[in-house]
Amino acid sequence: MNAALQSLITRARESYEAWLTNGRPKVNVCIDTSSLARGADETLRIIRETVAREGIDADIGIIGSWGFCWMEPTVTVRTAGGTRTILYGNVTPDRAEEFVRRVLVDGEEVPELAIAVVEGVSNEGIVPLGEHPFMQGQVRRLMANCGIIDPENIDHYLARGGYEGFANALERTPEEIIKEVLDSGLGGRGGGGFPTGRKWDFLRTATAEPKYLVCNADEGDPGAWVNRILMESDPQLVIEGMLIAARATGAREGYIYIRYEYPLAFQRMKVAVAQAYERGLLGTNICGSGLDFDLIVFRGAGSYVCGEETGLMSSIDGYRGMPRIKPPFPAQAGLWNKPTNVNNVESYANAPLILRHGAAWWSSVSDAKDKGTKMFTLSGAIKQMGCIEIPFGYPVRRLLEQYGGGMRDGSVLKGFQPGGPLSGILPASEIDLPVALDPYRERGMFLGSGGIIFFDQHTSVVDLCTYFVGFAEDESCGRCTTCHGGTQRAVEILRRMAAGGGRDSDLDKLEELTRTLVWSNCLHGQFALTTVKLALRYFRDEFETVIREKRDPAGVLSGLIRYEIANQADPLLPEAADICPTDAIVETHEGWTIVDELCVRCGACREVAPGAVRVVERFAQPAAEPTAAAAR
Amino acid sequence: MAAAEPSLEELRQLVSEFRPNRGHLLPALHKVQDTYGYIPRSAIEVIARQLNTTPALVYGAMTFYAEFRTHPPAQTEIAWCSGPTCRILGGDRIREALEHTLGLPLGGYSEDGRYALHLGQCNGTCSEAPQVWVNGRVVGRLTVADAIRLARRIREGA
Ligand SMILES: Cc1cc2nc3c(=O)[nH]c(=O)nc-3n(C[C@H](O)[C@H](O)[C@H](O)COP(=O)(O)O)c2cc1C
Ligand code: FES
Repeated sequence: MNAALQSLITRARESYEAWLTNGRPKVNVCIDTSSLARGADETLRIIRETVAREGIDADIGIIGSWGFCWMEPTVTVRTAGGTRTILYGNVTPDRAEEFVRRVLVDGEEVPELAIAVVEGVSNEGIVPLGEHPFMQGQVRRLMANCGIIDPENIDHYLARGGYEGFANALERTPEEIIKEVLDSGLGGRGGGGFPTGRKWDFLRTATAEPKYLVCNADEGDPGAWVNRILMESDPQLVIEGMLIAARATGAREGYIYIRYEYPLAFQRMKVAVAQAYERGLLGTNICGSGLDFDLIVFRGAGSYVCGEETGLMSSIDGYRGMPRIKPPFPAQAGLWNKPTNVNNVESYANAPLILRHGAAWWSSVSDAKDKGTKMFTLSGAIKQMGCIEIPFGYPVRRLLEQYGGGMRDGSVLKGFQPGGPLSGILPASEIDLPVALDPYRERGMFLGSGGIIFFDQHTSVVDLCTYFVGFAEDESCGRCTTCHGGTQRAVEILRRMAAGGGRDSDLDKLEELTRTLVWSNCLHGQFALTTVKLALRYFRDEFETVIREKRDPAGVLSGLIRYEIANQADPLLPEAADICPTDAIVETHEGWTIVDELCVRCGACREVAPGAVRVVERFAQPAAEPTAAAAR
Repeated sequence: MAAAEPSLEELRQLVSEFRPNRGHLLPALHKVQDTYGYIPRSAIEVIARQLNTTPALVYGAMTFYAEFRTHPPAQTEIAWCSGPTCRILGGDRIREALEHTLGLPLGGYSEDGRYALHLGQCNGTCSEAPQVWVNGRVVGRLTVADAIRLARRIREGA
């Protein structure tokens, strides 16, 4: 191994070992965007203060995410002797002081908050981590350090096998590295699945100089946060992946483009890059190998199409972030018109694994056609919103039922979106499809970048289409009329439908639009109406009911429902009137009434006075049977 | 309640580290916004001069992005999550309620500059859905009634 790197790793191991065996108990709080949303910074502060006040000899630190996002803040507690580590969940600020007293002063465990035993023997009630239902069947390779290391300490990464893949890369030729990546079968994780090794080879063989690498950390798909988990929990993995790519392609400068909405990921990547420079892992003559590579962490400013690779490069270049026509491809003309390779965070993050353990090991995780593991985040009307890493090929049902914990109480699965607003939607009957690229392509859609969203019977497909097409419209860069005009037309039609003005001709018009938008320049426009296309295929009845019967089976479209007083004698009616943001609930000499012109159908009144107000169909037949809408 | 714009000299100092043709436009705009909470009008020309480009190109690029603001921030900035899980769990009804309680559309600022309402994008804290961010902090697992009470407190200045 490269001598300089060897000594870095040795020193990091020594300091990590010394820390692990220093005889002090260790309490580590997950600080990531999901845990911060539940007050993890407060939890950490209270734990630190309590420890200081009580004079407890303990190491208090931070970790990244274990993927149990719905149980944040998560905390690990390791005993002084290091014989046992327990992962706890829901250690919210109000519980933090008592929690830390119990684990550190009284030396007990807190079974009611315990998730699993990470290290050491299991005892009654607390399962070993690998046997936790959320972890069974997960294969954590990319996430091997997530929740275990301090993401702001490069030594933790180096001590646990970090930069060994890069060390191996330094001993190979660029061609050999690319062959290894090609042999692994790694496909791009940003949604396209294009072989990463081939892309690297395009850049390697490009003749112009200088060459650039770009890491696409724009992760604009709402409902996807896999890249965020990696950057916030193990940022060095991404840097090491880019270094391997630099060695393979001859690029000397790289950019990590991080979306504006991820300030913590931005800050963590900056810290990680600074530490890599300090250790001589970035900059000139890296570890004496002759390799030069500079890495710049770049912050976006709120634009979905900047996740499209040419839009992203326009954005770095300082122009409006508008995608442009390909070819030329980035490997021919990218940043500043120079050869450039763009990969997703997760694509780069796989390279250290491939170079460290070999292509054969990497691809042997399953016999699915798509190789390697993939991270997914699960969200929607489910019980457990979290992040998993699994081999390709598992049925979506398993993701929902085992990892997502099933649908929420009272919710029945109506359908799901495999990955991103452009990917399309499928009905519940397709829940046994595997997570793999082909089945979605065959259906005229795509698997996407990892954010799977499950929706229930209370979700209107017309409303979902309105949201996803509205998103595509808002985020259209405006270059092609097909895209910006087409999405606008589609949204108008969908909004009119939801308002009760649907016409028989609307479905044909929407279908015509789905055929027109494929003529847009970039994939944003080409896929903007995928959801509509699939919805018209699988949920056509629902559109027909909305248009012809002016009735919404989900009972939510605001133009098709009406609120009315259900019980004049309900004592909570004054509270309902009080919460109404538009003062639509009024008391007249004939009793309480809801002024329909004022009512915005927000439903706050039904929350405070469930028995007093009900939802009815706006265009109900006089003696209609009670419907789903009324029953809700 | 427009705060006084910073002086040209101050702005020139602030962006003096940036260079033309090095991908420095967004970093320069971010630095200005991180400092003042928005991009003052005069900063556009200062940045253009520093980067050897035109105010039109700077303005054009800046307005492409949802998060560059040309209006000073309100005391209380509320961002409503427009994302899918929030919507599936009733987020759009929260938007209706917020807009009517605050008397503002998305993107609106109260006249006295005390509060503003924005559209926010999902950042993967969906386990807190439906949610809003108040000055960047998640307030989640909201009912519509919770959102109305929150908005009333902000409106009343409590
Ligand atoms: C509208 C649009 C948005 C995109 N957003 C992202 C994104 O946020 N992250 C990403 O990695 N790729 C995104 N892509 C795909 C990129 O253009 C590109 O294919 C990808 O970054 C290549 O990396 P990979 O080969 O490693 O997947 C998007 C594409 C389109 C059309
Ligand atoms: S949808 Fe609102 S946080 Fe993800």
